[in-house]
Parts: sequence; structure tokens; C-alpha cells
Amino acid sequence: MSAPTIPGTPAPHTATGGSRTHAGTTSGRVRSTLIWVGTNVLHLWPLALVVLVWDLWIVLNNYTALVAARPWDAFADILTHPGEYLYDTWFTMMMSVGGLLLGTVVGSLCAILVWWSAALSGIVTPAALIMRSVPISALIPIIARIFGYESDSTVFVCIVIICFFPSFVFVLSGLVSIPAAGRDLFTVLGAGKAQVLMRLGLLHSVPNLMISVRITAPIAVMAAILAEYLIGNHGLGEMFSYARSYQQWDRAWGTAVIATVLSVAIFLSARWCERKVTDRVT
Amino acid sequence: MGLSPVISASSSTSAPDTRGADLHAGYSGSSDSHRLDPSPLRVSLTDVQKTFDVGRGRTVQALVDIDLDIAEGEFVALIGPSGCGKSTVLRLLAGLDTTSSGEVELFGSPPEELSRQHRLGVAFQEHALLPWASVSSNISLPYKVAGRSVDKNRVAELIKLVGLTGFEKALPKQLSGGMRQRVAIARALVLNPSLLLLDEPFGALDAVTRRRMNSELARIWSEERLTTLLVTHDVDEALILADRVVVMSGRPGKIHHVEKVDLPRPRDTSVTRTPAFHELVDKLTGMLDGAGEDS
Repeated sequence: MSAPTIPGTPAPHTATGGSRTHAGTTSGRVRSTLIWVGTNVLHLWPLALVVLVWDLWIVLNNYTALVAARPWDAFADILTHPGEYLYDTWFTMMMSVGGLLLGTVVGSLCAILVWWSAALSGIVTPAALIMRSVPISALIPIIARIFGYESDSTVFVCIVIICFFPSFVFVLSGLVSIPAAGRDLFTVLGAGKAQVLMRLGLLHSVPNLMISVRITAPIAVMAAILAEYLIGNHGLGEMFSYARSYQQWDRAWGTAVIATVLSVAIFLSARWCERKVTDRVT
Repeated sequence: MGLSPVISASSSTSAPDTRGADLHAGYSGSSDSHRLDPSPLRVSLTDVQKTFDVGRGRTVQALVDIDLDIAEGEFVALIGPSGCGKSTVLRLLAGLDTTSSGEVELFGSPPEELSRQHRLGVAFQEHALLPWASVSSNISLPYKVAGRSVDKNRVAELIKLVGLTGFEKALPKQLSGGMRQRVAIARALVLNPSLLLLDEPFGALDAVTRRRMNSELARIWSEERLTTLLVTHDVDEALILADRVVVMSGRPGKIHHVEKVDLPRPRDTSVTRTPAFHELVDKLTGMLDGAGEDS
């Protein structure tokens, strides 16, 4: 019987092509990396448009530096005072990523509970919908009352609340759409519900989970900055609030630029992870 | 493996060849006996009816008066036109559906019991491989579900048996359709099931691959000798593989005819090119056409 080849898998006994093959592989990798970078840079055109519109808005309205900073002034502040931005950027990033991860875990656990039991579904689903329906700005005073004003925990809880709902919806959607053939197979194999969940449902839901992470990642940054702005002690939101109070417009707009870059970077990282993980499990 | 001495199948239809002596040629049962002698070592459907609720108070009768016995170690093929209830019969045997009335017994137990004992092997038309697991891991899955330690030698032996040596670490998406089906069959065989159920496992394959898979399945079966039910709509496939071919007609689905296949094994081209084989193909195809028109 002839053994068909596996695409993308080297044949076990294929002789290597020596240095030419190696060079070809390296140049191929460089080319594909350049294409990847080029494609992703091109995808950032909306950011360039924002910068252009921002500058035009100031120039056409004849606004002075006392009203708003031009993009170049904000960029200059970032480049000349990187240390001023570093800690708060790091803080906001860690809060965003941490809140995103914990929110995703909480949402996934809620989805598993709802999938597992109709009784638990009756408890968890309404609570999730209420949490989602109430604007986070309305929840922040309540959360702050519980966890304390000017507390980092309050900021973190706000991010978790924002992030948990998408993963709840997407993971639940993955669990309820387990293919009938897979479900039948596990039934015939004598698997219990826990086995179906652990060996089939969770991994089947991973692509959905990664979609939720991708779409939630920028929202996590937004939630972090909003919470920091309103009640935080650290982070880009608090930095923006401080700079605005003292009319340091270069710093305030520089903070906005950093927040935008951070949000895009987290989104691109999440998209990269989504592609890698989804490719592995599908 | 010892075959049960008497094998029969019948339906409530009055088609003479479902109950005639020729059907039981070579068997010790009398021509008017439609059941096996009492023995726990068999698979049996007794007076099975299946009705589906299709909503708004309406029902569809999918199966009527299905009586079928399969002896231990026997290979039975179930053929019939689309929608005649072949897969429903298989799903009843697999414990994936329940009868509206009648009884399904697998070696003296209900199907769910056989599932619980991890003694059922199934391969569907859709291979249902775990896309994130390698060939080896997919074949090992029944061990893991059963909570047993994986017998690596058995897995390796089956990989060799289905001709996938060298592809142990490959993912399903890296395999062709035929290779995926072979993995699914190896997975169905890995725990030495008491009953192997095959639901059109090669239905999605092209004719050439399908023919090759048929001869491979025949080879595997001759080595494992498992009690097997194959659901197919391909007459050639049924005749190449089975000891008996059960022809179903629809709707509602019922057993129209049972053909004992006395052709020698292995049924390679030296057999499939014989007039006897072609006569059987013509006979069963004619019945299928009739069954299709009936339905």
C-alpha cells in the first residue's frame, strides 16, 4: 500500500538539500516574516488616519498648545520622558492582561456550570446577563464601596467583570455545539459527562475561547484605563487624569497615544495566540 | 471463534425469500423458524418498532417489525435505500436511540450495558476523530475513556494493521479521508469489542479509495473475527465483506430480504469478477430498486 504524504511534514527518509536548502529555508523565513510584518503594518492604517485627523483638527481650528497637543508634541514627550510612562504603562498592561485572564477563567467556569446543569443555568445565566446589562461606569461606585476607593483591587475587579461575559457566551456556545458524531462516539465508548467535558467539550470550545480573548483584549485595556481614571492610584488612566488636572497636554495626549499602542499590541498578541492555538486544535 | 449453529432473520413482510428455506441453507434451523436457538452469544433485535416524533403531534414510523439475529463472529451487512432506517437500526444497537417497542439485546444485555463495559466499537461515516490528537492518541482514546492504561503494543499493532505505520504522530488534518477512516476503524477495534458497528464508514470516499478500504477491512476482519454489522448502500461493498446481507425497504423501514453470501474469502478480484458475484449484485440491486420504488 502506498503511504500518502502528510502536507507540511518532512518525509522520514528524505535527504536534506545541504546548504542551498538551508539558505533557501532561511530566505523563505525572512520573506514570510517581512510579508507578515508588512501585512500587519498595513492593517494599522486606521491609527495613521487617527493621527492625521488629530493634527488636522488642531491646525484647522487654530488651537494652541493650551487647548490640545499636536501629535508630534505628544510623541516628543514620550520619547524624551520614557521613564515617566514606563511604570504606569507596565501597571495598566499587567492589570489588563491579568483581568483578561481571570475574567476569561471566570466566564469559562460559568459556561461549564450552565452546560453541566439546568439548575445551575437558572442561577448563573440571569446573574451573567445582569452583570452585562449594567454599564461598568454605574457598577464602579458599588465595586469601589466593596473593595475600597483608590484601591487597585477595585480596578482589577472592574476589568474582570468586563471580560468575563464574552468568554461565558463563547465557551458556552462551543460546549453546546459539540459535534453530534463526537457526542455519539463518547456515548458508545461509555463516557460519562465529566469525560465528555474534559476530553471533548473543553478542547472543542478552545477556538471559541480564543475568539473571546481576541475581542475582549482591547476592551480590557479600556476598562483598566477607565477604572484607573475614575478611582485608580496608578496606571495610564490615573496618569491621564493627573496630567489633565495640571493641563500638561503633551503628557495627557502622550498617555492617550501609549494607551492606544498598548491596546493594539494586546489585541495583536491575542490574535496571534488565537491563530496559533486554533490551528493546533482544529 | 465458534459460530452459533443457527442464524436467521425475518421481517413481518410476506416476501417469500425472507422466510424461505434457501435463506437458511447451510444452517440447521427449519425453514419456518425465524429466530436463533436461545443463546446469549448473539445480537438480536426482536419485534422492534421505532417511531419518531416530528413535532405538532405528528409522528413518523421509521421501523416496523424488525427481527434480526447476528451470531457471534458473524459479519452482517445492512443495505437499503436512503431513509429506510438502516442507521436507525445501528443506532439502536449502539444504544444511541431507544426502541418505541420491541427488544434489543447484545449478548444478553441491553446496549447501554455493553457501552458501560466498553465492549462496543463504532465507526461512523463522519470519522469523529479528535482534531487536536495524533493518530496514536485517537486510537488510544477508548483506553483513556475506560480508565485503563493504554496498551501501546495493541495501539502499534492496530496502526500497522490499518497500514498507518509512520503516521503515529500525525494529526487528522494531515491525513487523507481514507487514512482518517482507517484511524476511526482502528479506534473502534482497539479494545477488542464484542460488537463492531460500522455506519457507512467509507461513504464519503471516492470509488477507488473505497474499494481499497473494503479489501483492507476484509483483511482486518479476517484477522480479528469480530461480530460486525455494516450499514451501507453499496451492494458490492456488502457482498465483498459480509456473511449475510440484509436488504431493507422503506418507509417504514422493514427487512425485505436476507441473502446468505457463500462466496469464498478473501473476496478479491478473482471473486468479484465471477458470474456468481455479478448475479448476486444484480439480484440485490434489483431488490434495492424495488425497495426504493416501494418507499
